[in-house]
Amino acid sequence: MSPPTQNITKGNSVETDIVHYLKTRDKKALQLIFENYGPVLLNIILRIVKDRPMAQDTLQEVLIKIWKNGQSYKVENGSLFTWLTRVCRNAAIDKTRTKDYKLSEKFNTAIDLVNIAELAAHEEGTEQLYMRQMIDQLPSVQQKLIDLAYFQGYTQKEIAKFMKMPLGTVKTRIRLAIRNLRSII
Amino acid sequence: MNLKDYIESGLLESYMMGELSDEEMKEVDRLAARHPVIGQELEKIRKGILTYAEATGNRPHPDVLRAALKTLQDDQEDTQTGLSKLQDTSENRIKRFPVWYVAASVLLLVSIIFNLILFRKLRENREEIRSLTNQRTLLAEQVETASLKLDDAETRIAHFTNEDNIRVRMEGSEISPRSFAHVFWNKKTNAVFISVDNLPEPPHGHQYQLWAIKPGQSPIDAGIFDYNEQIQKLKVIKGDVMAFAVTLEKEGGTPHATVEKTYVKGFL
Repeated sequence: MSPPTQNITKGNSVETDIVHYLKTRDKKALQLIFENYGPVLLNIILRIVKDRPMAQDTLQEVLIKIWKNGQSYKVENGSLFTWLTRVCRNAAIDKTRTKDYKLSEKFNTAIDLVNIAELAAHEEGTEQLYMRQMIDQLPSVQQKLIDLAYFQGYTQKEIAKFMKMPLGTVKTRIRLAIRNLRSII
Repeated sequence: MNLKDYIESGLLESYMMGELSDEEMKEVDRLAARHPVIGQELEKIRKGILTYAEATGNRPHPDVLRAALKTLQDDQEDTQTGLSKLQDTSENRIKRFPVWYVAASVLLLVSIIFNLILFRKLRENREEIRSLTNQRTLLAEQVETASLKLDDAETRIAHFTNEDNIRVRMEGSEISPRSFAHVFWNKKTNAVFISVDNLPEPPHGHQYQLWAIKPGQSPIDAGIFDYNEQIQKLKVIKGDVMAFAVTLEKEGGTPHATVEKTYVKGFL
């Protein structure tokens, strides 16, 4: 019996499915990783590669590496996520050593502007609009914290400095934000 | 271990944020393997983030997956055509060339395979070196923190044992009964040192200030200090001091003490 391909809602079995597909050399593994871990992995890369387009490039390289080294993953050495995180960090560090990256650091401001334009051009479907409304029930500070910590690659220390809050408060509020997020969805 | 406290510590949120080191992540994994409730909690956090990503459209672009799959597809095709070409030519040549040529080809093939194995081994080693380097950096950081703490402790001991020092223990006042701190006042140089033992983190934009109290005079400014540095040298104070006290003041200090914000106080 083969496991189902789509499994976003069904619990930790996603991890089991992905590991199964990696071992049987089925590319569904990459699709499931992308769907279920894509945003968190991109965030981990963004913590090191501070440039969104380059971070997306890195994620693409990571997917290829995962495919090529998938059989080296061992459950005994930690969870799939921990392994994926390690692959992402190594790829991100490699990226920061490239000439392209060093050049891009100089033009970062220009790239940020492009990013904002890209985000603004993003269109929302009906279902997405509905979810967006649900999320808008969260206080805006909590939305901001989730955004910085889980999507913009900021460390909690950086957030504390940026939002002018003590580090302890940042940690408690992020936890609260995630709990609220879970209760409204 | 209290699982509820562990879950509420915020560590699991940091895990999903990518804020923990490899070792710390593995520790969480070990606990999750032993206590399913931790694994379930991690899943809930991940799904929360995923839903947030769906709702805000803040996902990696779908082209990322598409491009990766295409690269892998192209690689596969290249290898296949490469292999079939190799087969064609070798068949032709076998017909035309003597046995030694076949032997050489076999040797070449063996050498290629051997190289591939070596290459793979090299890549694994490189991976290992990287992970070891990460661990080493982590250890170096830990050693540095420890040696800073040791320095602090040694300075404190030196002040406690210095016979030229008058030591004043300042006890917590009503607004902060658990606080305490020490002042060391050097009889020879008149230098004043503070040892911050237990003071709460001051609110944003505020700082602690030490005052020397002489009979019949308003408190004399003995300097401002950071609450999180243990031993600090403050001003030189001369004369007939009867007590020292610490108040909470606006950042940068003040010439006149806000007496009702006295945190600790001690008499000579």
